[in-house]
Amino acid sequence: MLKKMDEVEITNGNNFPQNPTTSASNNPPTLKRKRNLPGNPDPEAEVIALSPKTLMATNRFLCETCGKGFQRDQNLQLHRRGHNLPWKLKQRTNKEIKKRVYVCPEKSCVHHDPSRALGDLTGIKKHFCRKHGEKKWKCEKCSKRYAVQSDWKAHSKTCGTREYKCDCGTIFSRRDSFITHRAFCDALAEETARVSAASEINNSLLRGNIGNYNIMGTTTSLIPTNMMSNHFSSIFKPIATPPPDHHHHESINQTRGLSLWMNQNQTSHETMVTTNGNSNLHEIHQQQQQHDTSSRGLIYDNPNSNNYQLNWVFGNKFSSNCNQELITSTTTSLPLGNINVNIKDVTSQQISSPLYSSQHQIQSHQTSSANMSATALLQKAAQIGSASSDTSFLGSLGLKCSNNNNIGGNSGMHGTTSSLLISLANEEDHNTACDFTQMQPSKRRHVQSDENGGGHTRDFLGVGVQTICHPSSINGWI
Amino acid sequence: MYHKENQNMEISPYNTSKKKTHMKKLNHQNNNFIVQEASTIDMMHTSSSNNHQTSSDSSETCHHDQDGKWSSKLLKECAIAISNRDSSKIHHLLWMLNELSSPYGDIDQKLASYFLQALFSKATQSGQKCYKTLSSIAHKNHSFDSSRKLILKFQEVSPWTTFGHVASNGAILEALEGEKKLHIIDISNTLCTQWPTLLEALATRNDETPHLKLTIVVTNNISSVIVMKEVGQRMEKFARLMGVPFELNVISGLKHLRELTKERLGVQEDEAIALNCVGALRRVEVEERENLIQFFKSLNPRVVTFVEEEGDFISNDFVKCFEECLKFYTIYFDMLEESFAPTSNEKLMLERECSRSIVRVLACDHEFDDNDDDEDGGDDCEKREKGTQWFERLKNEFSPSGFSDDVVDDVKALLKRYQSGWSLIVPQGDDNQKGIYLKWKEEVVVWASTWKP
Repeated sequence: MLKKMDEVEITNGNNFPQNPTTSASNNPPTLKRKRNLPGNPDPEAEVIALSPKTLMATNRFLCETCGKGFQRDQNLQLHRRGHNLPWKLKQRTNKEIKKRVYVCPEKSCVHHDPSRALGDLTGIKKHFCRKHGEKKWKCEKCSKRYAVQSDWKAHSKTCGTREYKCDCGTIFSRRDSFITHRAFCDALAEETARVSAASEINNSLLRGNIGNYNIMGTTTSLIPTNMMSNHFSSIFKPIATPPPDHHHHESINQTRGLSLWMNQNQTSHETMVTTNGNSNLHEIHQQQQQHDTSSRGLIYDNPNSNNYQLNWVFGNKFSSNCNQELITSTTTSLPLGNINVNIKDVTSQQISSPLYSSQHQIQSHQTSSANMSATALLQKAAQIGSASSDTSFLGSLGLKCSNNNNIGGNSGMHGTTSSLLISLANEEDHNTACDFTQMQPSKRRHVQSDENGGGHTRDFLGVGVQTICHPSSINGWI
Repeated sequence: MYHKENQNMEISPYNTSKKKTHMKKLNHQNNNFIVQEASTIDMMHTSSSNNHQTSSDSSETCHHDQDGKWSSKLLKECAIAISNRDSSKIHHLLWMLNELSSPYGDIDQKLASYFLQALFSKATQSGQKCYKTLSSIAHKNHSFDSSRKLILKFQEVSPWTTFGHVASNGAILEALEGEKKLHIIDISNTLCTQWPTLLEALATRNDETPHLKLTIVVTNNISSVIVMKEVGQRMEKFARLMGVPFELNVISGLKHLRELTKERLGVQEDEAIALNCVGALRRVEVEERENLIQFFKSLNPRVVTFVEEEGDFISNDFVKCFEECLKFYTIYFDMLEESFAPTSNEKLMLERECSRSIVRVLACDHEFDDNDDDEDGGDDCEKREKGTQWFERLKNEFSPSGFSDDVVDDVKALLKRYQSGWSLIVPQGDDNQKGIYLKWKEEVVVWASTWKP
C-alpha cells in the first residue's frame, strides 16, 4: 500500500497490532463502518503524515483553474462552478474515496505512530494545536488559555456560569475560592476519613454493581441498609458517651445486632414492607424528628418493635456477606452514585461535553444527596416500599434531598462514577467545569487503595457521622 | 502657647455631634468645620481664648467628608508633640483623641483609637506591656475555626492576600515545571490558604503529578501550634483528595527566623526548591534581614517568590515613621471598610490585629527591649519596607525575574473577580523585573516579586 504523493508521505497503515497479516479479512463486521475509537484507526486506511506547515495551512484545497485556495472541499467545488468548466472536468476525478487517517507531525506525540493515527483532518489539526501549539486564545474572565479558537469560544460561553457546590452546601461562582474553601471545609475532614475507610469495600461492591439496572435488587437494599446502619450508629454515638474504645465495641455490637436481625429476615417480605414498613417507618421517622436522643434510646431499648420492622424494609435481600460491609462501610453514597451513573451511562452514551457537565452536576446533586439525614432516608425508604419504579427511587432521592445536608457524599461518589464518565467524555477542554471533580476521583481511586482502614471503624463511628444528623454541630470532625 | 501653631483643625460634624464637649468650637464657614485648638482640661474654664463656645449643633451635621481627616491631623500633631517631648501638648492631644476616637466608629475614629493606643504607649513607655497584653488576648481568642473563617472571608472580599498567592503560585509552577520532587518552603502567615490552588494545579495541569513536600515556617505567635496542626491536617487530606503525593512539615515555635537551618528545613539534594515568603520578612528585625536573605541563598532555591505590603516603617525618625504607618493603615482601613459589610465581625478582628502591629511598630523600640530579653516575643517587629527597598536587599543574593505574561493575566483575571477599586501595576521596560504591585484606589499596597538564583 505504498504510494508516493507530492507533499505527503504515506506509510503502511497496516501496523495495527492485532492483525498484522490478514488485513484484507479484517474488515469491520458490519456493513456500515463503525466509527473507530479515536487513535485506533481502521487498518485499511491510508496513513497520511503532513508536515506542521501543511497541516496548519488554511487553504488546502486548490482550484486547478486559478490556483485559489480554500479551506473546505465544498467551498472549492462551489468556486469551480464559477469557472464554467466543460462537463467532463466538472466532475471530480473519480477516485475512490479512500479512508484516510492522519498522524501528528510531532515526533514525541502518541499520535505520531500510525497505529494511533486520527481519522479526521480537522481533528488532527486541533490536536496538534492543543497539545503542541501556542495557546493564543485567552479567556477574559479566568485567563484560561486555549490554542484552538473553537475551544476558547466554547469555554467563554460557560465560564463564570458554572457554580461550584461544596459538600457543606455553600455555592461558589469562583473556582479558586471554591478550591480554597474545599480544602478547609469541615465536610472534607470527615468525608475523606469515611471514604478512606470504606474504599476497599465499596470498590468491590461497585464492581459487582456496575451495569446493574435493577435498583430494587441487591444494590438497593444495600444502599439504604448501609445508610441506615451509618445513621443508626450516628444516632447511637452521642448516647454512648464512654471513651472511644468502649464506644467502638458497643456500636459494633449494635450494628452487628442489626444485621443479625436483618439476616433473620432473609425471606422476601416485600408485601410486609409496603404495609408494615410504611407505618413503622413513619413512626420512627416521627420519633426521630421529635427528639433525637430519646429515639435513639428507643431503638436501643426496643429492638423488637419499630426497629425490627425497619430492618425488614432494608433487610429483605440482605445477605450475610453484607454484614461485614454493614459494619465497616461508611460511605453509602458510592453504591448509590454508581447506580446513578449506570442509568446515565446507558441513556446518554453520546454525551456532548456541555451536556456532560450539566449532567454531571445533576448527578452530583443526586448522588451527593445520598448522605442525608436519617429522617429523610426513612422517608425515602417509605417511598421505596410504596413505589416500585427504579427511576422514582432515584428521582425522589435526588429531588427531595437537595436541601439536605450533602456532607461528604460528593467525593466518594465521584470516586467511581466520574471515572466511568471520564471514559465517555473525550475532550478535556470542554470539561473544564468538571476538571476539579473529575480529577479528584480518578486520582483518588489509586490513592484510596493505599489507605487501609486501620482506624476505620473508629472513623465510621466517630468522625463526621454525627454531622450528618446534626449539620450545625461543630464537633463533626475529631 | 496653644495657639502658636495657629492650627485649623477640621472635624467631621457627625463625630462631634456625639461628643457634646464644650472644648470644641464649630465654626460653620463655607461648609468647613473648624476647631480652634482648645486648651487642656485645666484651661477649659478659662477664657484665654475667646473662641470657647459650646456647640454641638447637630442640625449642622451633614455628611460632608472633609478633605483633611481630623484624625490624621490630630494624630500627627500628637506624634510631633511626643517627638518634641512637649508634655502638656501631649496630654491635651491625647485627651482629645480619647474623646473623639472609637474602635467602632468610622475610619477616622478607628484610626484615632488604635493609633491613640500606640501613642499613649509610646508616651508612657509602656509599649511592650501593651503589646503583650494585646497579644495574649488575641492568642486566647484565636481558634482554628475563627482563624480559618477570618482569612477565608478576607480572601473572599479582598485580593489583598490572594494577589500575592496567585502571582507566587504562577511563578512557582512555571519555574518548577517538569520537576518530579518539589519542595516548597513557605514562610508566611496565611494559614496555607495559598496552597490548595497550587495543589489543584499540580494535579490537573501536569501530565505526571510531582511529589510535593511543603515546609511551613510559622513565626506569627498568634497562629498557635494547634491552629497550624489543624491546618496541616486539612492540607494533607486535601492533597490526598487531589491525588498529589504530599508531605507536610510545620516548623512552629521558632522565635526568630534566624534560627532556621538547612537541616531543620529538611532540604535535600534532589529536590527542586521554591522559597515562598509572604509577609514574613517584615517581622524580622531590620538589622537581621540581610543575614536572613543570605541564608535563603544558601538553600539554593530554584525560585523565590517574595510578597510584602508596601510601607516604610524603618525610619529612625519617629514622626516620619509615624506618618508612614498612619498612611498605610489609613489605606488598609479604608480597604477593609469598603470590602466588608459594615457590621462585619471579621473586619473588626482584622482591625484589632492591626492595633497590635501599630503598637509594636510605634511603641516598642529597642531601647525598651534591652531590658527584657526573656520576654522577647520573637520576630514580630512588623516594620515594613517598600518594594524598592526589598528589591535592593534581595538583589544582592538573587537575580530578579519578571512574572510571565500568563501569570500577569492570571492576576488580572483575579482582580476582575473583586469589586472595583483594585488595579495592577506592572512596571514596563527596565523595571519589568522589579515586581508587580497591587493598588487600592490611588495607592500601591502590596508588592510581589519573583527571583531566580
